[in-house]
Amino acid sequence: MIIPRSIRRMKEKREHREGPWAHLFERYDGDEVVSLDCETTSLDVKKAEILSIGAVRVKGRKVITSERLDIKLKPPKSLSGDSIKIHKIRASDLADGIELDDALEQVLAFVGNRPILGYYVNFDIRMLDKFIRPRYGFGLPNKAIELSHVYHDIIKWKHIGGDVDLRFDTIAGKLDIPILERHTALGDAITVALMYVRLKYGVAPDISY
Amino acid sequence: MPNSFKMDNIPFSLLTDAEQTLLRANLDIGYFQKGEKVITAGEVPDGVYVILKGCVSESEAIEAGVEAPQQVFVQYQNEDYFGGWSALRGKAIHNFVAEEETICHILPTRTLLDLIASNAQFADYFQQNLAVKREIVAQHGSNQDMAEFMLAKITAAAVRDPLIVEQGTSIRDATELMRTHKADCVLARKGGRLGMVTGTDLLDAVVLKQLPLETDVSDIASYRLVTIDHQDYLFNALVMMTQQQIERVVVMAGDEMVGVVELTDVLSYFSSHSHVIGLRIERAASVDQLREAAQGLNDLIKALISSGVKIRFTMDLLAAMNGRIISKLFDLIIPADMQPHVCLIVMGSEGRAEQIMKTDQDNALIFRDNLAWPGMQATMQHFSDTLISFGFPPCPGNIMVSNPAWVNSVGDWTQRLSDWAATCEGSAQMQLAIAVDAKPVAGNEALFKVARNWFLRHLRNNDVFFSHFARAAVEFDTPLTFFGNLKDRGQLDIKKGGIFPIVHGVRTLALEHRILKTNTFQRIELLMEQGVMEEQHGKDLAEALALCIQLRLRQQILRAEEAEDGIDPTPNLIDLQQLNKLERDLLRDALHVVKGFKKHLAQRYHLGG
Repeated sequence: MIIPRSIRRMKEKREHREGPWAHLFERYDGDEVVSLDCETTSLDVKKAEILSIGAVRVKGRKVITSERLDIKLKPPKSLSGDSIKIHKIRASDLADGIELDDALEQVLAFVGNRPILGYYVNFDIRMLDKFIRPRYGFGLPNKAIELSHVYHDIIKWKHIGGDVDLRFDTIAGKLDIPILERHTALGDAITVALMYVRLKYGVAPDISY
Repeated sequence: MPNSFKMDNIPFSLLTDAEQTLLRANLDIGYFQKGEKVITAGEVPDGVYVILKGCVSESEAIEAGVEAPQQVFVQYQNEDYFGGWSALRGKAIHNFVAEEETICHILPTRTLLDLIASNAQFADYFQQNLAVKREIVAQHGSNQDMAEFMLAKITAAAVRDPLIVEQGTSIRDATELMRTHKADCVLARKGGRLGMVTGTDLLDAVVLKQLPLETDVSDIASYRLVTIDHQDYLFNALVMMTQQQIERVVVMAGDEMVGVVELTDVLSYFSSHSHVIGLRIERAASVDQLREAAQGLNDLIKALISSGVKIRFTMDLLAAMNGRIISKLFDLIIPADMQPHVCLIVMGSEGRAEQIMKTDQDNALIFRDNLAWPGMQATMQHFSDTLISFGFPPCPGNIMVSNPAWVNSVGDWTQRLSDWAATCEGSAQMQLAIAVDAKPVAGNEALFKVARNWFLRHLRNNDVFFSHFARAAVEFDTPLTFFGNLKDRGQLDIKKGGIFPIVHGVRTLALEHRILKTNTFQRIELLMEQGVMEEQHGKDLAEALALCIQLRLRQQILRAEEAEDGIDPTPNLIDLQQLNKLERDLLRDALHVVKGFKKHLAQRYHLGG
C-alpha cells in the first residue's frame, strides 16, 4: 500500500518524539538549506546502490563549501558497466570508501532538519530513505526543494507557450552558472546550490532563444 | 570547493600540495547581485575574494552627507582576487561593489593567516609591494632559463682554467702545451706580469715575422689584458668582447687571476647574434655596409624579447648598438678635421637609452663657438637622411640635425636652454625635457659637458622653474578602471598613463639634484643613493617602468609584424585583451605605483589642484 509521504511523516514523527532523532522532525526556522546529490549505480530506486553522496549548506546567498559532505562508499556488487560510463566512478575509485551505516549517520547529522535542495531531489531522498528506513525506522522528514520547480516557477511567467526546458545543463546555461564538476556528487550539489542562490536572489534570467 | 578553484594563478600556485588542499577545504562560494556591496568599508571582511565569474569594482568610501562623485580605483574580473589587505588588517577601507552578477570564492581570513604563516613566498606575494611580486613572478616564470643566463655571474661554469707558462718557454713548447691541453691561448709570465699569447699571435710570429721556433713566448705576448671581475655578469663579458673586438677576457678575483672566458663559450649560451652585429657595425667601411648591419638589429630585438631577456639588459645592449651605429656614421660622414670641433648628441628616449624599437630619432649638434664650416648644414642634412635610410624614423617634431634649429654653437645652445627654462609655455618645456636627456655619442664631448654643467648651475635653487617643469608629469590621468570592461574599451595609452609620468617625474628630480646620468633607471638608483627617494619607492618605480616598457614592447612587435610597412601605427597603445591574468595584476599594481608617485610629485613641487 502506498501511504502518502505527509501522512507517513506525521506517523513517524509521533513514533520518534522521544527518540534520539526527534530534532529531525522539528520545524526548521533557520535560513539554511542543504543541497544534496547522490551518484548511484542505476536510476531505478529499487535496484540502485549509492556510490557517493555530496552535500553543501547554503546560507543566505553564500554557498558554504568549506562545510561540506563528500562521502565515498564501499563499492557495491552491482557497480557495472552502464552506470560507470555516466558517473565515471570505478570500483577502484571507491577503494577507500566508508561503510553505508557510517555514511547515513553523517548525512543525518549534516542535514539535520534543514530543507533538502536538489535536482530531481525526490530520487535522492528516496534513495536515502531506502537505506535509512530499515535502519532507523523513518524516512527523511525534511522539506524538499526541487530546483527545476523553482526554476520553472520563475521562468513560466516570462515564457509563453511550449514547455520549459528543465535539463540540468540548460538551466545552468540560462542562469549563466559555471558547471563545476558534472557527475560528481559534490560538484553537482554545489552547482545546484549556486543555481538556487542565483534564482532566489538574482534577477530572473532572460530565457528568450 | 573541490576543483573549480584555479590554482594555476599566482599567488595560489606558490602553495604546496598540502596547503592547496587546506585552501580547497576552506573555500566558500558567495553570490552577489549587480550593485551589491561585496565588502563594505569599515566592516570586517570575510576573507579574500577570488572572482569565479563577474566583475567587482573597488572604490573610495564616501562619507555620509558628502556629495561627491564615486571614485572607482580598480575593477576586478574573472580569476582576480581582492580584499587581501582588508582581510589582513581586519577592516576594509574601501567599498567593493559587484558591477555585474558575481560569483566569488571566499578564502576565510583564518585560513589566509594559516597559509601566510606556513608559506613565506605566498605571504610575500600577499603583503608585499610590486618589486617583490615581480621578483617572485620572475622566479616562477616560464622563461626562467634565459633570464637566468642573463643574470648568470661569471662563475666556474664558463671560466676556463688558464694555461700559464714561465718566461723562457719557447714558441715550440708553448704550441705543444696548447695542443695537449686543447687550449687556444697561453698566458706567459714575465716578471710579475702576465701576457696573453693566442694562436693568432703564434702564427703572426712564426709565419709573418719569421721568428725562430726557439723564441721566448713572453716576447710576443700582449700585456694589456682586458679583465673582468668574477662577480660580474656573463652578459657584461659579452658586451666587453663586442666593444673591444676581442675574443677572450681574463677573469679576476680581486688581484688574483681565476681563468679565461672565451667568446665561443659565451656565445654557445647566448644564441642571438648581438656579437655578430656588433662586429659588423664596427668593421663597416662604408655607409652601405653600416646600413646592412643596422638592419640586423630588429631581428636581434625580437630574438631577445621572445627569449624573455630582462628588459633592462635588452635596452642597455641596444642603446650601445644604436649609439655605435650613430657614432660610426658620424665617423664616416663628418670630415675628420671637423670632428674635434663638434659634438653630436642624442636626446629623448635615445639619450636615456630607453629606446628599443626605433620609434624616432632625436639628435642635435653642438659646435665650437666661431667655428667656420660652410658646408655644415648640407652635411647634417645628409647625415639625417642616411639615418632615416637605416630605419631610424624621422622625428615628428623635427628634432634632428637636418633642422638648423638643432645645430648650435655652445653659446647659442646654452642660451636656448636658459630661454626655454625661463618660459612656462608648453612646447618650450617639452623641448627642454627632451634636451636635458641629451647624451654625447660622437665628436668632442667636452663641448657638450661645458653646456650641460653651465645649465645645471643656472637652475640651482630655481624653485619656480622646477614647479613648472614637474607639472607635465601629473597632467595625464592614470586610469585604473579599465580592467573590468574589457569589451568596451580594452585599450590603454601606456605612455600617458604610465611611462611618461615616471620618466618625467624622475627627470625633474634628477635635474634638481644635478644627476648627470640620463637613463631613468640609473637616475632612480642615484636618487635612492642620495636619499632623495626612499629605497622602496625607487625599486617599485623602476619595476613599474620596466613592466610598462616590456608590455608595450611585446605589443609593438606584434603590431609591427602585422602592419604592411612593418611600422607600428599606434606604438603606445596596450591592448588589454592580450594580457593574461598575471600581467593584468602586475600592470594594475604598476599603475598604482605611478599614481602614488604622481601624488608625491604634486606635494613636492606644490602642484595642488
